Amino acid sequence: MNTPLTPQSLPRRSFLYRKLAALGARFAAGNEAAIAASFGGTDEAAAAHNLGLADLSPLRRVGFKGPGAADWLVAQGLTVPEVNRCAAQADGARLFRLGANDLMITTDLGATATLPDKLSAAWAALENPPQSPRGFPMPRQEGFCWFVLTGRHAAAAMAKVCGVDLRPHRFPVGAIAQTSVARLSAVAARDDINGTLAFQLFADSASAEYWWDCILDAMQEFGGRPVGTEALRAL
Amino acid sequence: MSSHRLPQPHGILIDRSKSITLRFEGRDYPAFQGDTITSALLASGQRVISRSFKYHRPRGTLSMMAQEANSLVQFPGEPSVRADTAAVPAGIDVRAQNYLGSLGRDWLSVIEWLSPFLPVGFYYKAFYKPKGVWKYWERLIRALAGLGRIDEHAHHGYADKAYLFADVAVIGGGAAGMQAALDAAAAGAEVILIDDQPRLGGALNYARFDVEGRRGARLAEELRGRIGAAGNIQVLTDATCTGWFADNWLPVTQGQRLYKLRAKSVVIAAGALEQPTVFRNNDLPGIMYGSAAQRLIRLYGVKPGHRAVVATANDAGYAVALDLIEAGVTVAGVVDLRAEPSASPFASAVAARGIAVHQRHAVCEGIPGPGKRSLFGVEIDAITGRGVTAGRPHRIECDLLCTSVGYTPAGHLVCHSGGQLVYDSDLSMLVIDRLPGSTAIAAGAVNAAFELDAALAEGTYAGWRAAQLAGLGVGAEPPRPAARAGAAGQNHPWPIFPHPKGRDFIDFDEDLQVKDILNALADGYDDLDLVKRYSTVVMGPSQGRHSALNNMRLATVGAGRELQGATVTTQRPPFQPELLEVLGGRGFQPTRLTAMHHRHLELGAQMMPAGVWLRPAYYGAESRRAENIAAEVRAVRENVGLIDVSTLGKLEIRGPDAAEFLNRMYTFAYAKQPVGRSRYVLMTDGTGAIADDGVACRMNEQHFYVTATTSGVDAVYRAMMRWNAEWRLNVDIANVTAAFQAVNLAGPKSREVLAKLVSDIDLGSEAFPYMGVREGHAAGVPARLMRVGFVGELGYEIHVPASQGEHLWDALMREGAAHGIRAFGVEAQRVLRLEKGHIIIGQDTDGLTFPQEAEMGWAIAASKPFYVGKRAIDVQAARPLTRRLVGFALPAGTTLPEECHLTVRGEEIVGRVTSIAMSASLGKAVGLAYVAPDQAEPGTRFDIKLGNGTIIQGEVVPVPFYDPENKRQEM
Repeated sequence: MNTPLTPQSLPRRSFLYRKLAALGARFAAGNEAAIAASFGGTDEAAAAHNLGLADLSPLRRVGFKGPGAADWLVAQGLTVPEVNRCAAQADGARLFRLGANDLMITTDLGATATLPDKLSAAWAALENPPQSPRGFPMPRQEGFCWFVLTGRHAAAAMAKVCGVDLRPHRFPVGAIAQTSVARLSAVAARDDINGTLAFQLFADSASAEYWWDCILDAMQEFGGRPVGTEALRAL
Repeated sequence: MSSHRLPQPHGILIDRSKSITLRFEGRDYPAFQGDTITSALLASGQRVISRSFKYHRPRGTLSMMAQEANSLVQFPGEPSVRADTAAVPAGIDVRAQNYLGSLGRDWLSVIEWLSPFLPVGFYYKAFYKPKGVWKYWERLIRALAGLGRIDEHAHHGYADKAYLFADVAVIGGGAAGMQAALDAAAAGAEVILIDDQPRLGGALNYARFDVEGRRGARLAEELRGRIGAAGNIQVLTDATCTGWFADNWLPVTQGQRLYKLRAKSVVIAAGALEQPTVFRNNDLPGIMYGSAAQRLIRLYGVKPGHRAVVATANDAGYAVALDLIEAGVTVAGVVDLRAEPSASPFASAVAARGIAVHQRHAVCEGIPGPGKRSLFGVEIDAITGRGVTAGRPHRIECDLLCTSVGYTPAGHLVCHSGGQLVYDSDLSMLVIDRLPGSTAIAAGAVNAAFELDAALAEGTYAGWRAAQLAGLGVGAEPPRPAARAGAAGQNHPWPIFPHPKGRDFIDFDEDLQVKDILNALADGYDDLDLVKRYSTVVMGPSQGRHSALNNMRLATVGAGRELQGATVTTQRPPFQPELLEVLGGRGFQPTRLTAMHHRHLELGAQMMPAGVWLRPAYYGAESRRAENIAAEVRAVRENVGLIDVSTLGKLEIRGPDAAEFLNRMYTFAYAKQPVGRSRYVLMTDGTGAIADDGVACRMNEQHFYVTATTSGVDAVYRAMMRWNAEWRLNVDIANVTAAFQAVNLAGPKSREVLAKLVSDIDLGSEAFPYMGVREGHAAGVPARLMRVGFVGELGYEIHVPASQGEHLWDALMREGAAHGIRAFGVEAQRVLRLEKGHIIIGQDTDGLTFPQEAEMGWAIAASKPFYVGKRAIDVQAARPLTRRLVGFALPAGTTLPEECHLTVRGEEIVGRVTSIAMSASLGKAVGLAYVAPDQAEPGTRFDIKLGNGTIIQGEVVPVPFYDPENKRQEM
């Protein structure tokens, strides 16, 4: 992910690449798309410690939904937590359990976890239509945009757009809130990055530009700013 | 330093190192950071802040807390700003309100001379005869009345909202509130402490609790220090809780932000509001509450006058006198309404300073200075009975009168959520009779605890109890303090001294005098609520905060009722005025954009809303709208066009029962639909009315990919989820609308263009026929392709992952360039589909249209045992039709009707035009319209009534209008 490139040079594009570019993003390749690696300026990692918002939309994620989905994932060796919890997997991937049989698996911030791809391939390799229930793939890569909000002010910023109490001592690591964020149905999950408070945020991909603006606006009073994946990895 | 500014330690809220300027009525006044508008004006001796609502009398502050309308001022974009509490604004000219001419000389003050002809309720009687005259009066009255001017073009400022979370909310940061917060926090509660002042402390910051005058400040400092160190107390200063709603939902405004706080329990420690004395000219600038003078002295370092009289009925008045003396004000006398001298140390200290005390006396008249802009002196007289004086007044010259005759609980919030205040005759005071809900507790002066130690003890108890109510494990119950400690002797039972010449104001907001209340009673409005509505008492901006208590006394006794147990009129949120801007906050209006959105903008698209989406209406200049649309239509008919249809709803129906599920949800039959084919879907609701449509693509035996209308998909998805919760069919239903982006590549050359981008699907007309569905790749992107015919030409809908939609668009536009490809928008699509006679749900149907009326009977599988709406449709089908949707044509040159123009037969309305367009392809105007069933045969002429009443005739023609054999779309 070290090669600077332009988002339009690849078929897959972030849902808000224009906004990222306008904010000065430097892009690097990730999952066959351009991902905002850095926004420049001084000490972006410090900004991520304070309050940073990163777009991870191009990174790999896959969903499985429908009867049998959870059991099938358990059979694939995944750690499947209770509903509305997320759990780290062996390769660093995360599994977000949104319903009894509605699950999403994302790669890690470094995009090294290959579990989403392996699961997609495993599902597709089986007979279709399925002879036994194993859920159905959900295009979470495409239906959700994916942001991560980091830093010590993250909960305070979220309180301006979300009615759920996300303060660290009330919303533990691994907890998921399926709620409204800036009037948009959203998934907010607490998934700290090396001890820095962080919320993984997912919502309608078609509303990504609107949502990004709302969250950035809520961050202003805390000195929040967009950050790239390099800053996240430096946390 | 001006002659009115006091040295430190007075003025704890101002920063003397930061000089600023207040511009008021075109003049500059020096001020300090921390000053309010009123304190800055008084520091320069400017007492008149505004004019009264009705008689345009000059007014200054009464409460120094904006508890009356006297000190409402006008900002350029905002009327009725509370000068008492509003910080000195930078860079704007603050204006007074309610005057014509100047603040000093108001031409409208002539109204006061007309007041004998304007008794209370006069406008209910006066302006309605002769009939029709009100509209003339209304204009004049509206010009004269009102509180400031609204700037209709005011800039919308930035305001936002935030949620707050707490175990315990404490409303009021005085002694009781601070103590409650500390004790709740000590029990482990997360506490939010809300106070409307810039600094916690309440009365501790300005009132005198001991003769030396040190205890208040010392205690406030100590409590603030402990709160700061507590760790689990969040303090909101300059913040007002404006309401108390069910389940402890508390809106709190702070500056430009509205906090939405829901607490598990609430301590109300909002304190008490000082109340006025009623006598002639009790509204003159220079007459204020004792607490107002104390606020000016201690908080802002402002000397409120030079020579003062204190009128009191409690010991607090003597403390005020001591404060005035300490501030260098000459105290010309204390007028004590009580029969017996006070034994309090404050009274002794005043006596020791040689101040004359006039026991059992009252102020019966204020003597105005020139123009009633100041106080020249007061007439005092001996009290001989309730509200009666001896009639032998004598004058004391003074420029300041401070009154301390009692309090009322700041208990409005209590009443917002079902609590109640009642009158206690023993205390001559309103007290809390009932708190809202079961998780509220009151402490301090709001609960009639007036002794400082009692208020602190109540705070301790309330904090403990609130923590317990919040579900926390708490220690042993602290001693329950005695109720209403120190309340006796605070309130005079009747501080109302009517004057034969009037101007004895009960309600300063509405300029209501004693006689106005008595007149209301005399007119038969003898209930407190009726007096309120008839006279408008307590209905002004301060909502009775300074007037409810005296009005209650006057109206209740005047009506011959007992005061004991009487209740105040309903009090509703908000407790303080609030800006709509702040209530609105930052608007959240989600907007959905397709992946190609920015490409549309680059092509000059005129965007239009489609539900929460934006779609291109057409491309090119608005001034050439018709030509642009026509060119887009032509491109599709003659070459190839590309339209973004990503906003279409998209649903995945997967599982063993998928076909059965569609059979139940839609009117058509799907069990035998071949894999690789699409089929029209028509959804009806339980009443048989058309609800939505789309196509269902069978991807495999157990998988249908179903489209829905842009604005209908959410309702369709909800209906599917709801029905299957009942049916329990083995399917998974997923709304994947945003996950797929889609285009329709349409026109005779569409296959040629697509062929350049698709290598793994045979696009030949036999291999991939009309209504066929294929999966493969387009422009290297995984794609679902469908042969569709909505616009009546050879066409392909191409659905791809959202993140690659723009790439697909780019590739199609690039490869289509040689074929004259043109992007087309919704308007062109409407024309194209109309030429084919395809209906649009919601445009050509309404909430009552059932399929047979819309000629959609072909889409119903009548032999199916069930689908949603079947029973209603069967019933409808057995009855004669009342209307039918038909295609019609208009001769060239006819004025075109608009959509929704009526179809009529004589005087009878038989239907309406639902779609109309000039078809270049057909050389005539065509449309769809509802007509009477007997008018539906082709060749029948029917009447259309235009907007201007003209009748034109349409002729029913068969649909499709264009390519009736569908050869073009099936090629």
